[in-house]
Amino acid sequence: MAVLRARRLLRPVRRWFSRAEPAGPEPPPAPLYPPVVASLTAKSKAAQQRRRERFKQQVHAAATVEEKMRLYGKLQRPKYMVYPQTFALNADRWYRSFTNTVFVPGMAPRAAAAAAPGAAAAAAPEAGGAPGAVANTAVTTEPAAGAAPHLDMGELRSLTCDALLQESFYQNKKRPFLYRDKDHTPGPFLTQLVSTLTAFLSGHNPLLAASSLDLKPEVNYYWHHGEEVVVHGHRKGRVDPVRFQIDDKPHLQIRVPKQLPEVVPLEADLGDVPVIDHKPSKLPLFKKQYENKVFIGSKVADPCCYGHTQFHLIPDRLKRTRLIKARLEDQIEVVYRSNGIASLFAWTAAQAMYQGFWSEADVTRPFVSQAVVTDGKYFAFFCYQLNTLALTAETMKNNPRKNICWGTDSKPLYDVVEDGDVKGFNDELFILDLGPAILLDDDDYDDDRDDSYYYSHL
Amino acid sequence: MLAVRPGVPQPEDTVQFRVSMEMTKLDIRNYLERIYNVPVAAVRTRIQHGANNKRNHRNQREKKPDYKVAYVQLGQGQTFQFPNLFPEKEQDTETRSFDDFRSKYMEKEKQKGDPRRGGVPDWFGL
Repeated sequence: MAVLRARRLLRPVRRWFSRAEPAGPEPPPAPLYPPVVASLTAKSKAAQQRRRERFKQQVHAAATVEEKMRLYGKLQRPKYMVYPQTFALNADRWYRSFTNTVFVPGMAPRAAAAAAPGAAAAAAPEAGGAPGAVANTAVTTEPAAGAAPHLDMGELRSLTCDALLQESFYQNKKRPFLYRDKDHTPGPFLTQLVSTLTAFLSGHNPLLAASSLDLKPEVNYYWHHGEEVVVHGHRKGRVDPVRFQIDDKPHLQIRVPKQLPEVVPLEADLGDVPVIDHKPSKLPLFKKQYENKVFIGSKVADPCCYGHTQFHLIPDRLKRTRLIKARLEDQIEVVYRSNGIASLFAWTAAQAMYQGFWSEADVTRPFVSQAVVTDGKYFAFFCYQLNTLALTAETMKNNPRKNICWGTDSKPLYDVVEDGDVKGFNDELFILDLGPAILLDDDDYDDDRDDSYYYSHL
Repeated sequence: MLAVRPGVPQPEDTVQFRVSMEMTKLDIRNYLERIYNVPVAAVRTRIQHGANNKRNHRNQREKKPDYKVAYVQLGQGQTFQFPNLFPEKEQDTETRSFDDFRSKYMEKEKQKGDPRRGGVPDWFGL
């Protein structure tokens, strides 16, 4: 007993002579029960939330970009098919609301800034200067204080006129088949023009030299925007995201291995996005269920994974003469604008997805691409900057970013082609618009820079 | 051709009509443009199937007639809002007093009970 009492006295001995590290607060013991979370399969809001979080975690944790895209578009449901080239009235306003885009008329600021020195340099030597290439012109060298080799505007102009005359005058073509006017003259002219000018200017522009020109590629993008209540069927009454799909087939497309530099900062606010309270089916827009595809024109492994310029041809049922005959003159520009906005949004968003961004993982840098929409004679130029992919109902709540699209009105390139001569060639269009439009390139282009990066994939 | 109030909200430039089944989009466009000088940008039509589920006292199905609906989008930026055909009337002093009389009369009628009993109170009976 005495021993025990002594032991009890001895037990709480503090050893002053040895510096024992004081043990920190003891970790709480491991819980005996599994974590208390909502069910996965119950018909409750908590269970639905947990399923959504689980899906997001799965996509975030996907190993490759292909796996991410596969999980993103795995669930198929009826979705609205958005056609960039549509007969719907005022479609560009609806498309801007679907894609959270601000439309700014005029050329993009960087292109406008480069147009001034470009115009000054070109106006002096050549008479009337000539617009650079409808393709990506390396006129970037122009603004570089004239140190870089001067671009031969006359040569470019003659190339353009040659392609035009070849397709519309020298070649003996029969009358086009019904509604095949697009493939008869403007199509081959555009292909010829773009390929010759790209080849001619690739000497000046290393980015063009490493680019990839696609003929009639396919561009697809699938996204959610807003919410609606399911009307019929076994899922009636549930709140679903509104799903959209763009399946676009531009006439030509140029992909490059390096991203075009941004035009304005990521958080820039240049206007308002139209808010439309009505359902998209009132546009009219129709629903169908099929594969949710995201594609830029090449697969993920392709090194040319960024977009440079797209070229679109207006289809015959939307051409100018038909719209004028139907007394829809104000819809002429709407056709060009809706084509530019929808096609470029799909392309830039698909490019962003190829880099691993999606609506829950928003883009950290803006994606910029350009487009030229034409019907063979009238050209309209567009530049699109994708600042955000977060378009779903919950991600859009606190998202101040908006996508921006700069676009011009359609202007004629020439008046008429007769007797082996192109009359009324619009040099102004080239200097001010086509040149800068394709002019968008690396601002810090440097002659001494090592360009081996661009050829590493070859 | 009958302009109707849309069941679901339509965009501002869209007017909804019920037209004869034999009328086509071109007919509708010409009708509006030539007779009423309304600029028409686009016409879309659909045929609404009348339900055939109700049954009469002989257990025969009663068909509600089919009709064609036309959605006309106006041109030149015009808009149309279907008017409210039954606006709320303003209450005058006279009508208010008449309504009071009527409500008091209705209360008395309710208190009377079943008229088939001829004034005999409810508690009388087997």
